[in-house]
Amino acid sequence: AGSSAPAPKNSILVSHRQKGNPLLKHIRNARWTFADIVPDYVLGQSSCALYISLRYHLLHPDYLYYRIRELQKNFKLRVILCHIDVEDVVKPLHEITRTSLLHDCTLLCGWSLEECGRYLETIKVYENKPADSIREHMDNDYLSRLTHALTSIRHVNKTDVITLGSSFGSLSQTMNASMEELARCPGIGERKVKRLHDTFHEPFKRVS
Amino acid sequence: MLPFEEQVVADLLEDPNGGLVVLSSGLPLASIASALLLQLHHHHQSPGGCFLILSAPDPLKAQIRRLLLQPNSQPLLQLHDVAPDLPAHHRAALYSSRAALFLSPRALTADLLTSRLLPSRVHALLLMSAHRSSDTSSDAFVARLLRQHHLLPVYAFSDRPHAMVSGFAKAERAMKSLYIRRLHLWPRFHVLTASDLERAPPEVVDVRVPMTQPMRGIQVAVLDAMDACLKELRRTNKVDVEDLTVDKGIFKSFDEIVRRQLDPIWHTLGKKTKQLVADLRTLRKLLDYLVRYDAVTYLKFLDTLRVSEGVRSVWIFADSSHKIFHLAKRRVYQVVRADGTNLLADNKGTPTKKRKVTQKGKETENEDLSAIKGNAQKINAEMGILLEEILEEAPKWKVLRELLQEIAEEQIKRDGENVQPLNEDGFKKSGIVLVACKDESSCLQLQECITKGPHQVMRAEWEKYLLGKAELHGLHRKNKKTSQQPKGFGVLDGEVPMGSGESVGPSSISNLETNALLVAASEISIVTKEVNAKDDSNVSGRKRGLVKGKGKFKKAITNRETSNRINKSTTDRSDLEVEGQSGKTDGCAEIDASKFSTEEDSASAPAVDKAANYFSAFGDLVDAKLLPPVEFYAIDSDQHVLDVWKPSVIIVYHPDITFVREVEVYKAENPSMKLKVYFLFYEDSAEVKKFESSIRRENEAFESLIRQKSLMMIPVDQNVRCIGPALANEPEARSSQNSITRKAGGRKPSEKEMQVIVDMREFMSSLPNVLHQKGIRIIPITLEVGDYVLSPLICVERKSIVDLFQSFASGRLYNQIETMVRYYKIPVLLIEFSQDKSFSFQSASEIGDDVSPTNIISKLSLLVLHFPRLRIVWSRSLHATVDIFLSLKTNQDEPDENKAMRVGVPSEDGVVENDVRAENYNTSAIEFLRRLPGVTDSNYRSIMDGCNSLAELALLPVQRLAQLVGSQKGARTLKEFLDAKCPTML
Repeated sequence: AGSSAPAPKNSILVSHRQKGNPLLKHIRNARWTFADIVPDYVLGQSSCALYISLRYHLLHPDYLYYRIRELQKNFKLRVILCHIDVEDVVKPLHEITRTSLLHDCTLLCGWSLEECGRYLETIKVYENKPADSIREHMDNDYLSRLTHALTSIRHVNKTDVITLGSSFGSLSQTMNASMEELARCPGIGERKVKRLHDTFHEPFKRVS
Repeated sequence: MLPFEEQVVADLLEDPNGGLVVLSSGLPLASIASALLLQLHHHHQSPGGCFLILSAPDPLKAQIRRLLLQPNSQPLLQLHDVAPDLPAHHRAALYSSRAALFLSPRALTADLLTSRLLPSRVHALLLMSAHRSSDTSSDAFVARLLRQHHLLPVYAFSDRPHAMVSGFAKAERAMKSLYIRRLHLWPRFHVLTASDLERAPPEVVDVRVPMTQPMRGIQVAVLDAMDACLKELRRTNKVDVEDLTVDKGIFKSFDEIVRRQLDPIWHTLGKKTKQLVADLRTLRKLLDYLVRYDAVTYLKFLDTLRVSEGVRSVWIFADSSHKIFHLAKRRVYQVVRADGTNLLADNKGTPTKKRKVTQKGKETENEDLSAIKGNAQKINAEMGILLEEILEEAPKWKVLRELLQEIAEEQIKRDGENVQPLNEDGFKKSGIVLVACKDESSCLQLQECITKGPHQVMRAEWEKYLLGKAELHGLHRKNKKTSQQPKGFGVLDGEVPMGSGESVGPSSISNLETNALLVAASEISIVTKEVNAKDDSNVSGRKRGLVKGKGKFKKAITNRETSNRINKSTTDRSDLEVEGQSGKTDGCAEIDASKFSTEEDSASAPAVDKAANYFSAFGDLVDAKLLPPVEFYAIDSDQHVLDVWKPSVIIVYHPDITFVREVEVYKAENPSMKLKVYFLFYEDSAEVKKFESSIRRENEAFESLIRQKSLMMIPVDQNVRCIGPALANEPEARSSQNSITRKAGGRKPSEKEMQVIVDMREFMSSLPNVLHQKGIRIIPITLEVGDYVLSPLICVERKSIVDLFQSFASGRLYNQIETMVRYYKIPVLLIEFSQDKSFSFQSASEIGDDVSPTNIISKLSLLVLHFPRLRIVWSRSLHATVDIFLSLKTNQDEPDENKAMRVGVPSEDGVVENDVRAENYNTSAIEFLRRLPGVTDSNYRSIMDGCNSLAELALLPVQRLAQLVGSQKGARTLKEFLDAKCPTML
């Protein structure tokens, strides 16, 4: 865990203010070290985070505002990491949401210290990661592509995909199946038949 | 119209606020609604205005239309179905036509908000699915938009009493939100209803058909598996034990009970608990299909399930599920040694299985004449393995045929007595027999049963099943062989590659079994080929299979067999393996066309003769034409056919309470007619239980509603007008509120109304409704970017939790945020939790030890890293969202409608899209299209321009596709995907 050696480049910098925060115990997938910094955590070249728990906010409603004001503008990503640790969240969360929105901060919520810690780790670990895993991706496996396409139709499930596939042999044949043929597939009820048929046969544009 | 219906209408018209009617399902909702419409139409003689009918399901619409537009009389009342894609000016014309209009709440909301429809032009509002109303529902929104400015009656109907009692004081809350004071309850047991319907009741015959032994076995096994799942679920201590009984488990509403209890903690549940809930749903299906599907289709469904559910399910590994699979197979075929012993039982040697065999034997004896005779035993002599077809027919089939015979005889006798010649016409008028079953496919199958004979139907299903198996197997080898012939003669593997071979013995047996199946399949395909081209004796295709696939032996173990069977010794196994191999070669070498054609002859060829034989066994009717005229009706289709076909005999093949009521009403409306109703129940089946408890459940619902009615508190004003939910935008209320907070300033509150631009598609959700409740002006527009525009700077993309996970997975969210960040200074992602669900993403156990790319935390972090300007709002509930919106809007300018509309709209041809755009598209097809490989954000529009529908797209040649997709490569990818053979069972 935290060492007092000069800060290595690839570790999370933790403000001395955070000393004693049990959250630190849950940072295990990234190295971290204490440093003299303004934000609570520095997570990369241009990203930092402030930690606040709802309970603390209820006691010190102005705290967050002052902390944000101290932050320099040289962080592109300024995360407010909010620990949801009270039952009645609506009012305090509303205030925190409003403050972070008005002061150009991104709010992330965690429901446990593990979850909060995981956000810090992940932002550090993913510092230079491309966004591929959240962009539209082409899965090369035929069945999962087929499932992906067919399940876009409401109420069509994985079993139906297999039923349709094995009944008609190919997607193009499925797309040209008649109502009656669709209805003969086990597990495909009236409503699904209609929905499938409509999707395939109704024109893309209803009015030309 | 029956007297009680008139009473319903009269009661409703008494109160100028309207009322809520809850009927037993199956009572004539359509006829009541149309009578009400006629009365209202009569009252409102002034020209112009309209009557609005909301959320009527299609079959109900059709019925009302039929009732109002009597064929040979002048239509009493204009009736229009306003399609959501109807151009706005056409809609406007209809609004002032003094007609009754069917509408979707979405289009109507938009028209009311844009003042295209003035509330004062509406004479009355009819809501046909009141069980879906709540204070945040879209029909309540419509009711409020109307009632706010204009006092008009709201009539709400529901024929789902059990849905009206789900949740706390649901009826009362629905009534308040619809401005309704009176609740009218019309259960089947209401005195008036009962006396109307029981004055001349139809003659009822209850036929109990015993299930076959294996069917009973499967039912017991499914119930056992359900019980086990429930016990497991109970162990989680998360659900109320009382509601969790197998009895309730057979109903769809059971899921609702479980979900309502589990939803608040859904995200904290482990995978296993969630899977249990899903498994219960699957098991209920199995129970239902057992009495609905024929044995082969049932087996096919099970096969599919095994592939799709695979390792995920809990129940699939339970003992009872082995029994399900085993018995289901036994209803179709079994594999026996040449010496007659059952191969499987032989290997297991357990007493239970032995018993099964004897039972099976008995069953086979019970199967009479036609069934057994047709059972060709496919012998693969040297292999020593027989595939014995059993092809159990559904017991109800036989009973149905007998019934029809009986009815025909009776009719002939009666006609004889009346000394009337048997004339076609008279026969049809009086003698139609209506067979009511659950769905269209059962209708088709039963029809074939009657015309071709049940055995023929089973054979056809069986052949389809075998060919399907063989085709899949052929596919498996397609990569190397160019031959497309779906023949299975190679080394064969089991249906499912499950795990690695822990025990090899079973694998060879399952191989043998599959072998046998495939041999049978190839015989069929040969015969078919024989028929097509007589001289085709080419066997080369068959020989090929030999070389390949040996390595697959070990993998090919069906799960069921692995755990059920005692390991065989290795030597034994290899023996069998070799045997199997050689057997196949020789077997196929020996196959010659004549042999098969004769075999087929005996099995299936002269179907007509066979059917005739079958007939003669029951009545003395040799000619199938002497069956009474039969019509089939699918209950699911919800068409009301009784009045059209006027049957004199109804056979309820799949009992359903709603249909029973319809029959009662039909009889009551035609008191002079003779009507005989047969109910076909499987004895001691879940079917009976389900039918009986559906009646009980409905009665309980009504009793609860009667109690609720006596305690209801509905606020009214001095003029006995219903007040409904409090509104923030009543001018007085608002200014007085403001005056308190702004007294110090001494300034008048600003006159300007807050406004929010809302995407048309968002009217499916309740947020616009609640925003309006808070006094914000809603401007409906089709937005290309974002869902809500709060100010020129702030744009919001709203995601419910489910949406969030889905759109992360599909990558849509990334695109949406990307465009929003491009066009707005303050782009906001609103993550909206549901009030009655837990406020958290996941349970602590799901967080795991490592940073995993699939976790929601990782996805959100990545999103935030890539869009540091993105603001995230976490909202506890709908109402919290509204508060946040209000607070974000302070000190911001009002959004500009014209500007928001143009944002992100591709302006290639400079055309500004008009506001009904979203409704003009088949959104489901577009979503589907965009998920196809080769289709991208940049080319899907041109694809849509270039072809009419998906069905058309599937048939386009690759050259044409290339033009639409914009690249050869993309077009090829798309074409290959569309035409690829589905390797689903492999």
